[in-house]
Amino acid sequence: MPPALRRHAGALAVFGAAAVVPLVSRDNYFLDSVVLILLWGALSAAWNVAGGYAGQVSIGHASFFGIGAYAAALAGTRFNASPWLGMLVGVAISLAAGLVIGYLSNRLKGPYFALATIAFSQVLLIAASRWRGFTSGSEGIPVPFRPGFWTLGLGHVAWLYMALAVCLLYYAVGVYLERSRVGYQLAGVREDEDAAEALGIATRRLKVGAIALSAALTSMCGTLWAQYVGFVDAFYVFSVDLSVRFALNTIIGGTGTALGPFLGSILITSLETYLRAAFAGATSGYTGIYLIIYGVVLILVVRFAPEGLTGIAARLRGRWARA
Amino acid sequence: MLKLEGVTKRFGGLTAVREVSLEVREGDLLGIIGPNGAGKTTLFHMISGYYRPDEGRILYEGRDVTGLPPHAICRLGLTRTFQIVKPFGNLSVRDNVMIGALTRLRHVREARREAERVIEICGLSPHAEARAKGLPIGLRKRLEVARALATKPRLLLLDEVMAGLNPTELAGIIELIRRLHADGLSLIIIEHIMAAMMRLAQRIAVLHHGEKIAEGTPAEITRDRRVIDAYLGEEFVLAEA
Repeated sequence: MPPALRRHAGALAVFGAAAVVPLVSRDNYFLDSVVLILLWGALSAAWNVAGGYAGQVSIGHASFFGIGAYAAALAGTRFNASPWLGMLVGVAISLAAGLVIGYLSNRLKGPYFALATIAFSQVLLIAASRWRGFTSGSEGIPVPFRPGFWTLGLGHVAWLYMALAVCLLYYAVGVYLERSRVGYQLAGVREDEDAAEALGIATRRLKVGAIALSAALTSMCGTLWAQYVGFVDAFYVFSVDLSVRFALNTIIGGTGTALGPFLGSILITSLETYLRAAFAGATSGYTGIYLIIYGVVLILVVRFAPEGLTGIAARLRGRWARA
Repeated sequence: MLKLEGVTKRFGGLTAVREVSLEVREGDLLGIIGPNGAGKTTLFHMISGYYRPDEGRILYEGRDVTGLPPHAICRLGLTRTFQIVKPFGNLSVRDNVMIGALTRLRHVREARREAERVIEICGLSPHAEARAKGLPIGLRKRLEVARALATKPRLLLLDEVMAGLNPTELAGIIELIRRLHADGLSLIIIEHIMAAMMRLAQRIAVLHHGEKIAEGTPAEITRDRRVIDAYLGEEFVLAEA
């Protein structure tokens, strides 16, 4: 196998499998699960740009997700504009918000930074849920389904390929951040900011750039998600749960790796979908048990594979190579 | 090449460095000595841009660099190592040095080649693949120097790169510093190991309570009454004699 192919073999397998899904099954429930796996994977990959490569762990990325979701929903319902335009507006606002968060990262370190990002998302939540006249407040916004590419009214198969295209783009961003000059410099910033400065790296600018890029990528997927699901609810799109999900997928999959966030999403999203379905209904008496199992999986990963699924894969590969 | 004019740094009520003036010429190897807390590292922090002096100016190659951030100063060709080493722990030795090289070079491939060259010079070749975190202190100090060298400085500040080394490692790093100096690098070295300093430095400046109390050749310094009282002690002078 040529080295380039070997390096991306995992990605080829994952994204290749997603690409052939519609050829194998047209079951909408199954297609829906795959679209969500891909979207959550892409969102985690977006989080990874700041939280993984730049080492700026945010628990407030739902901010950018929500901005993207609202921008497109409002563009459609208030201004009768295309959600694509809404996506652009969302990206612009998220970039600006990312610069603010980035500025915070130069003042606040570690847990203080994480807390500040949570606070930021909660401010947006309050704003969106109280500004009834514009955002419909806590009632949320139903996104009308208007068929066509320009209005993002697509069938499940089209959505799957759309999500897959986004995944490939974000994976490419990850690969770039692993192998490029900027990527290595970012690794220096993540490992030790003072040392990176002494080596001529403009650490502040680099960090702010990474956070802003991460925000923009998150916002794009926020738009897609809202258009796909068809409903925007302030208490969901700005929730801490969502921010934690982006971080969790990435940590479980492998922080600071291009494929990790997608692997994390495959594991967590399918586990969640399965457990929810298996223990659904008030009669089963186990409605909330998926949260417990979810927690146990997290504990196991952190205990036995602190470098995530990609870390396990690398270890296994090393063992085979030696055998 | 480097000129400090009346540089002062205060932390609250404490004056860590008081009106220090200093000059380093092209090709110099200047030593800075003084008891713990004399302000040596604070001085380095100011020269390299981590602290902004409260008073005074710092000129590098005729340019006022007072208050410039460290990365900008590094790009002008002046960088430093840290007393408490700061390796990029999870990265390999090669990647550590390469990140330094990327400051001058645009392409990762070129930077990797440059890193190999610097690693070779610093005697780290057998450890190029090792994670920086796992290296013993002697090698981590070398890595600190290698990484700084990869940015192609013309003036390098070394903050106690000899502390904590065994005699073999010490001889190795002295040899390395001699060689770098012979190749045209100007250096300022903070060190506590007087024997090494006497052999290496052309000139020595002595700091005490944040003030420069003496400056001269090693021979002059060891005869200076204030230096003997503040730092060296009578025993040292007797031992040297």
